[in-house]
Amino acid sequence: MASVTSDKLLIDKIRDGDAESWQQLIDRYEGRLRAFVLSRLNDRDDTEDVVQETFIGFLTSLPNFDPNRELSTYLFSIAAHKLTDHLRRQGRRPWEATTDSDTEGRPLDEMPGRARAASSIAQSGEGHAAEERALAEALGELIRQWISRGQFERLKCMELLFVRGWPNKEVAARLDITEQTVANYKHQTIGQLQKLVRSAGVGDERVLEFSSS
Amino acid sequence: MDTISDADLANFMDEALSAEEMVRIETAVRASAALRKRFDGIRQARDRGWHSAGAIWRGHHLSCPTRSQLGSFLLDALDPQWQDYIRFHTEVVACRMCLANLADLKARQEEQAPTTAERRRRVFQSSVGHIKRKK
Repeated sequence: MASVTSDKLLIDKIRDGDAESWQQLIDRYEGRLRAFVLSRLNDRDDTEDVVQETFIGFLTSLPNFDPNRELSTYLFSIAAHKLTDHLRRQGRRPWEATTDSDTEGRPLDEMPGRARAASSIAQSGEGHAAEERALAEALGELIRQWISRGQFERLKCMELLFVRGWPNKEVAARLDITEQTVANYKHQTIGQLQKLVRSAGVGDERVLEFSSS
Repeated sequence: MDTISDADLANFMDEALSAEEMVRIETAVRASAALRKRFDGIRQARDRGWHSAGAIWRGHHLSCPTRSQLGSFLLDALDPQWQDYIRFHTEVVACRMCLANLADLKARQEEQAPTTAERRRRVFQSSVGHIKRKK
């Protein structure tokens, strides 16, 4: 998080047309984006193309970039979409008929008006984004609490359950804890999350993990 | 884990897992109509505006270590529980962004400066013309 302030300064200067700041931003982020793409493509020329497209995509979308969000996350999301588009062109994801990016490969979530058509039918983009922020804040608060209390076993357990979707039995075996302990962590976490996000108007039926618990 | 969870199909959709895990899932999805159907179901749930705590945790990088912590991890200079957690987060959770940061930090330690500088100069030259001055 330490680089966020200096990222903001860089972005301000880039918005003013300062090419030297643009070079600094490239120097700061090109390596990690390259590693991200290269691990999937295993081709240095194609990787360089995707990374270049990522930086161009960033500049193209810069007028819409919210300077309060983390630049690193934003750049990785653009890189992921550029990479996905590249893989589709290579026939690596033929079963995906639709795209989540615009014609420039920019993620639709980043575009004005959130151009994801079906979502906008189901619910306004602003309402959906507000719900997501509420969930992210609540979950982030719980994670910070676990870390500050040194509850890394609970953190790992919930990360495997939520982020990787592992079943309780597999999580218990991996972490060498009982299935009952896994079930307790899960029950407590979902209860705490539900309490935190209900006040923000997020219904249980809107969150996959709540409705399947 | 050998089976593929819905969360992992979503992780695959978002290019969020290590290259090894991505290849494993890609291979399985290619071979299985049932997995492709589940994949479509996840996409439709997103389009309907459903949320997933797992996708939010991952997408907002809620437990990702900072770059400074990753640098210290490479030097084995963190508290044992943080060393252990970062190993877990990168090897078991297979967080692709953190793996990319680690690879970059390692490369910077070993880098051949002229090659890297030349590559970045090419990125700069291909993109600098897209900077728009404020009016």
